[in-house]
Amino acid sequence: MSAQLSIHDLHKAFGAVKATNGASLELAKGELHAIIGPNGAGKSTLIAQIAGEIFPDQGQIHLNGQDITRVPAWQRPRLGLARAFQVSQLYTEFTLLENVALAIAARDGKAFGMWRPLSRDTRLLEPAQGYLQQVGLGLRAQDPVHELSHGERRQLEIALALAQEASVLLLDEPMAGMGADESARMTELLHSLKGRYAILLVEHDMDAVFALADRITVLVYGQTVLTGSVEQVRNDPQVRAAYLGEEHA
Amino acid sequence: MSPRLIIDLACLATFACMPLLAHWLHEPYLVSFFTRLAIYGMAAISLDLLIGYGAMVSFGHAAFFGLGGYIVGIVAFHTSQGMPLWGWEGSNSALVVWPLALLVCALLSLLVGYLSLRTSGVQFIMITLAFGQMLYFVLGSLSLYGGDDGILLNERNTFGALDLGDANHFYYLCVALLAGWLLLCRRLVNSRFGFVLRGLKQSERRSVSLGLKPLRYRLTAFVIAGTGGGLAGILWANYALFVSPDMGAWHKSGELMAMVILGGVGTLLGPLLGAATYLGLEQVLSQWTEHWMLIFGPLLLLVVLFGKKGVYGLLLSLLQRKPKRVAIKPNAAVEARP
Repeated sequence: MSAQLSIHDLHKAFGAVKATNGASLELAKGELHAIIGPNGAGKSTLIAQIAGEIFPDQGQIHLNGQDITRVPAWQRPRLGLARAFQVSQLYTEFTLLENVALAIAARDGKAFGMWRPLSRDTRLLEPAQGYLQQVGLGLRAQDPVHELSHGERRQLEIALALAQEASVLLLDEPMAGMGADESARMTELLHSLKGRYAILLVEHDMDAVFALADRITVLVYGQTVLTGSVEQVRNDPQVRAAYLGEEHA
Repeated sequence: MSPRLIIDLACLATFACMPLLAHWLHEPYLVSFFTRLAIYGMAAISLDLLIGYGAMVSFGHAAFFGLGGYIVGIVAFHTSQGMPLWGWEGSNSALVVWPLALLVCALLSLLVGYLSLRTSGVQFIMITLAFGQMLYFVLGSLSLYGGDDGILLNERNTFGALDLGDANHFYYLCVALLAGWLLLCRRLVNSRFGFVLRGLKQSERRSVSLGLKPLRYRLTAFVIAGTGGGLAGILWANYALFVSPDMGAWHKSGELMAMVILGGVGTLLGPLLGAATYLGLEQVLSQWTEHWMLIFGPLLLLVVLFGKKGVYGLLLSLLQRKPKRVAIKPNAAVEARP
């Protein structure tokens, strides 16, 4: 099994706080791998290191066989990493279509064009429309992003990640702040992506995690304490005590 | 007809007819005023590229205005004095001197931008201000070129068949370059590059996660804007036949910034209207009192506090909310009637 993303013994301290303290995991091709852990377990710090926003103090990150531990964040997408943010990072003044079109232009390394108007560039707009349809936002393509609801913004985050045509998707709490309906729709969307991408999913919504994940890694105090199937994690007494609580028992 | 198009056409018509109008009114001064307006408008539009589209509030934009002017002045000085410049006889042809001046401005903006863009926000304002002042003092210390007194030019550059010594010829050249620059900037901000630039302003994290390196795009915009400021300076040197370090001083940068804000940040045409308002008010108010800034200051304050997109935004909302007002313009009335 060749791992598309592998993290080996990662450490990151902020002063005395060891936010990441020995995290290791492997993301196989086509696998949907969830990371769970209580608040403050260091999930966001781990994601930031994988994305390249902060560099680890020690340990390695490999993406598609290449050591990316010290590769700057802006170069990682070209090596096959795409990302959806926990707090939406979208171009709110642009339309949905323009957001996705820009992602495509950036992916193709053709973002320096200075003459042809982007909003009439069919080579970008047609595929962009396709990605929006995949996430169920096809009808809203021409609306400015600031008019979108919270749930729709999360869908657009996914569309942008898809538009990057990366092999590895890093999804940071895509269901955060969603209602039950929206959550169900997002679960369905992620389900439709299963197998096509290697997905690392950080999520608090346990129903969604159990429904989607092939494997789950549990992160506690910055350390990966357990990796296993849904059943293994669900039935692990340590996990149930520390994190899941009785309602999932 | 859309309000934007109406404003575009009104501006174009005004600029196009001005020499005729000045002739009828026996006010040749108008042509001179509108030449100045075209030149300042060009500088303000290029600054708007940075402020309005790149969120790069440069307080040193006049440096490029001053440098462009000085290159023209220095070459003219050596040419007229018969003093070769590093073995070069010099030239009075605009087609030689202007590209040279633009190249120097582009190189300086590349250097200044590369160093300044390591910062953002207030630090960026301060560091561009510092670079601007550095250039100001360097220009003032060039004793061969008159030090603080600057350089007087004997004549304007030659430009093919155009006689730039003729006020109308020079005016139309300035207007053509202004229109060309404005159109170029409009294409730019709506292109892929423009979207990247505007996107960086909205979410730098997103841009990085899409694989875009912010510095590349910001620096390119900085160089383009600096070159535009340089072109305005080149024209100014030819218009005034005089360059001095004041062209690059911080208060000139402040004036340009005031024009952008007054006219409407991030509208491109707005800063031209801002330049018109600024220069017009300066003209009118300074006839009353030399302390005309006392009146201008509060006005700018009002625009900042209440006007979302400055003079341009005001015009747009007038044309949009009260469509009957449009009937004042005869050509628009035809369109407005069903």
